[in-house]
Amino acid sequence: MADLAIKSPEMLDEVTPRLVQGNSTYRSLTEDISRIVEKGTPIQWWMAFLPSVAIAGMMFAMLGYLVITGIGVWGNNSPIGWAWDITNFVWWIGIGHAGTLISAILFLFRQKWRTSINRAAEAMTLFAVACAAQYPLFHTGRPWRAIYWLFPLPNTDLNMWQNFRSPLEWDVFAVSTYGTVSALFWFVGLVPDLATLRDRATGVRAYVLGFASLGWRGSARHWRHYEMAYLILAGLSTPLVLSVHTIVSFDFAVSLIPGWHTTIFPPYFVAGAIFSGFAMVVTLMTVARWSLQLQHLITTKHLENMCKVMLATSMIVGYAYGTELFIAWYSGNPYEQFAFANRALGPYWWSYWAMVSCNVITPQIFWFKKCRTSVPIMFVASIFINIGMWFERFVIIVTSLHRDFLPSSWGYFRPTYVDILTFIGTMGLFMTLFLLFIRFLPVIAISEVKGVLAQEDHVTKHGHGAHH
Amino acid sequence: MIEYATIEHTRESWRLDEAVWTRVRNVIAFLMLLGWAGCAAGFFQDSERFFRSYLVGFLDVTLIALGCLFFVMVMYLTGSAWSVTVRRIFETIMVTIPLAAVLVLPILGGIHHLYEWSHSEHVAHDKILLGKAGWLNPEAFVIRAFVYVLIWSVMAIRIYTNSTAQDKTKSVKHMDSTSAWSAPGLLLVFLSVSTAAFDWIMSLNPHWYSTIFGIYVYAGGGLACIATVTVICLWLRRHGILAQSIHLEHYHDLGKWMFALTVFWAYIAFSQYMLIWYANLAEETVFYTKRLVGSWKFVSGLLLFGHFIVPFFFLIQRRVKRNLGALLAAALWILVICYIDLYWMVMPNFDKEGVRPHWLDAVAWLAVASTYAFAFWWQLKKHSLVPEGDARLEQSLAHVNI
Repeated sequence: MADLAIKSPEMLDEVTPRLVQGNSTYRSLTEDISRIVEKGTPIQWWMAFLPSVAIAGMMFAMLGYLVITGIGVWGNNSPIGWAWDITNFVWWIGIGHAGTLISAILFLFRQKWRTSINRAAEAMTLFAVACAAQYPLFHTGRPWRAIYWLFPLPNTDLNMWQNFRSPLEWDVFAVSTYGTVSALFWFVGLVPDLATLRDRATGVRAYVLGFASLGWRGSARHWRHYEMAYLILAGLSTPLVLSVHTIVSFDFAVSLIPGWHTTIFPPYFVAGAIFSGFAMVVTLMTVARWSLQLQHLITTKHLENMCKVMLATSMIVGYAYGTELFIAWYSGNPYEQFAFANRALGPYWWSYWAMVSCNVITPQIFWFKKCRTSVPIMFVASIFINIGMWFERFVIIVTSLHRDFLPSSWGYFRPTYVDILTFIGTMGLFMTLFLLFIRFLPVIAISEVKGVLAQEDHVTKHGHGAHH
Repeated sequence: MIEYATIEHTRESWRLDEAVWTRVRNVIAFLMLLGWAGCAAGFFQDSERFFRSYLVGFLDVTLIALGCLFFVMVMYLTGSAWSVTVRRIFETIMVTIPLAAVLVLPILGGIHHLYEWSHSEHVAHDKILLGKAGWLNPEAFVIRAFVYVLIWSVMAIRIYTNSTAQDKTKSVKHMDSTSAWSAPGLLLVFLSVSTAAFDWIMSLNPHWYSTIFGIYVYAGGGLACIATVTVICLWLRRHGILAQSIHLEHYHDLGKWMFALTVFWAYIAFSQYMLIWYANLAEETVFYTKRLVGSWKFVSGLLLFGHFIVPFFFLIQRRVKRNLGALLAAALWILVICYIDLYWMVMPNFDKEGVRPHWLDAVAWLAVASTYAFAFWWQLKKHSLVPEGDARLEQSLAHVNI
């Protein structure tokens, strides 16, 4: 049986490629990741940060204009009462899902490759939720009163009580739970790394980091509690990956509108969310690993795995598109048939085909290893997927609404400049938060990558079966 | 306390003992005879009923084999290490799928008894059925059935031969080849199982439609397949076979999968039910109103509790997943409830007043199950019980849940 034993690192790579490369040691890992936040601010960071802040500022200006003037500044009309606002809401919420999937579900599935990307992906989750939250909040027109519309709080001036039968109300709870648990999960994971930074810092910085790391000393007892807390949070986050986008899909699917009401929506939305989230992670991480020189930690193997996940989720989404079309025909229901013919061939045909070509056709390149391992190719493809997933929501929302049951009330939606600038503005907000994150916090989970390094060291030195 | 085996440790138990094998083969052969004789008798006594009962039995066991096909492909694609020692059991169930080409024949033969859309004179008066006659017509139905089985068989045989070849060559090239087959295979198999679910089950009520239906059916098949593998492994263990290669840690993981798929099934079932209930469109709610008539409403309630609530609270406990007796009980219960689920999908289309159990239900299931079991048992003896050439075998033997 000798030929089965894995004796050299090269043999291990053949079966399970190593996830930490470049002769890293525990010390060099700490050094490589901590140095990013410890050294002086590079000029490139400012070059990215200042425009992002300006764009985010534009979003706030647009939202201010909206509050002063009214929702009419958006292009929404009758019958298209929901347009870019909810398209962007769903798009942003979806992007968050990759973070939770990577940190929670891949943790339960013992996928070690998650360790280099989970921290950044989870940060993206939080920032994406923050961007998404703008839309329902400001669509109320009076965001300072939204708390009474959204939450069941006693109030005397509005005499308001929520409609608990509405999935929009379920959304309030789903998204706020998701945001809370994701933030907790992210913070718990950060604690040991914050302590690492604290131990290297002096002065005020050491004090702040000491406060944030909750007195972490790295004792065996601390680790035991930490591992348990991490597992419980992973267990709690796993249903959240499914529930949030499921409830978002209910916003549409509980209605009677052809194109919205179909039973496949919940799993289809979840798969789409993970798909778009991974695309965003690839877009940002390919840039981040290059600019922060982390290629030996976020390796080609990590990127290749993400491409595989994108391919798989793209096929699930494609399966849903196909099933919807087939069942629309099969149902024999003229309204269903019209809705889908109108999607593909009606006035918004371009958005439907943009969606299909970005979401189903583009990811087919990932069948080829060459494309899965080429950073420029996956970067471009991930941008296409981001665009395609935006179009998917646009197609579902706008094309289903614009021609309702009465031809006399058909309409067409055109975005106003406020729609467009608000959307671009949320990207500025997202980038601002993300840049702050990579500037001040360890972008890779140091302690978790060390765990992987320990295991890989062990396997190559002692063979697979030897531990335990 | 469990023993963590090394390869040398477990070497002796990777082959089936001749005496045990023959005894079991004889039992299965006897059950097969009994099943098919009963089917023949039932066919002459009440052919209508025979086809219905047979359909449920055929779907139940075929979906288990298809569930195994799905999981084996996923194991290869994800590079799963824990599952290596149980994988041969999955693979051997999976490779019985070509039998479906023969076992599906009674359904194709009974098409006029089962599917109202197969009567052209009936379709001629129904505008909606006329509209879908391009899909729902006997010729296309038969052709599609064989295409499905062909896809499943090609994939299953390809993966199985690769895996068994690796036993001897111990080369990772077989593993890579299977992974390469599994990626498009997963897509093709999922698509064909969904359309098979549309054809064989959904079209029993040809006016009704639900886009999630294929996923619903396959979710049940996946769950039943993990339960089947668990039961088989525990039976082998009782006879001292694979007792060290498949140890507590593997059972714990099989238990986790049963839990996960119970939740997934419930998620899909809830999505379908809630959306149809909420929209309250007559053409969709007909599926559920049929299943809330008479005693069917108790079966519907049984699914809610027996397919979700009870197994959920049972299997969520770590100590249950690590107690082999409790795990066996859970697996057996899941097999029963998955059968009831299919029964509940098929029978209310015919027994409109309420549940009408029939001896043919049991006999038809026995015939199909024992036939698949016979092929499984025959095949199991041909190769090692564990994929001994797999590069991740040692990792799997040493697997521990933290």
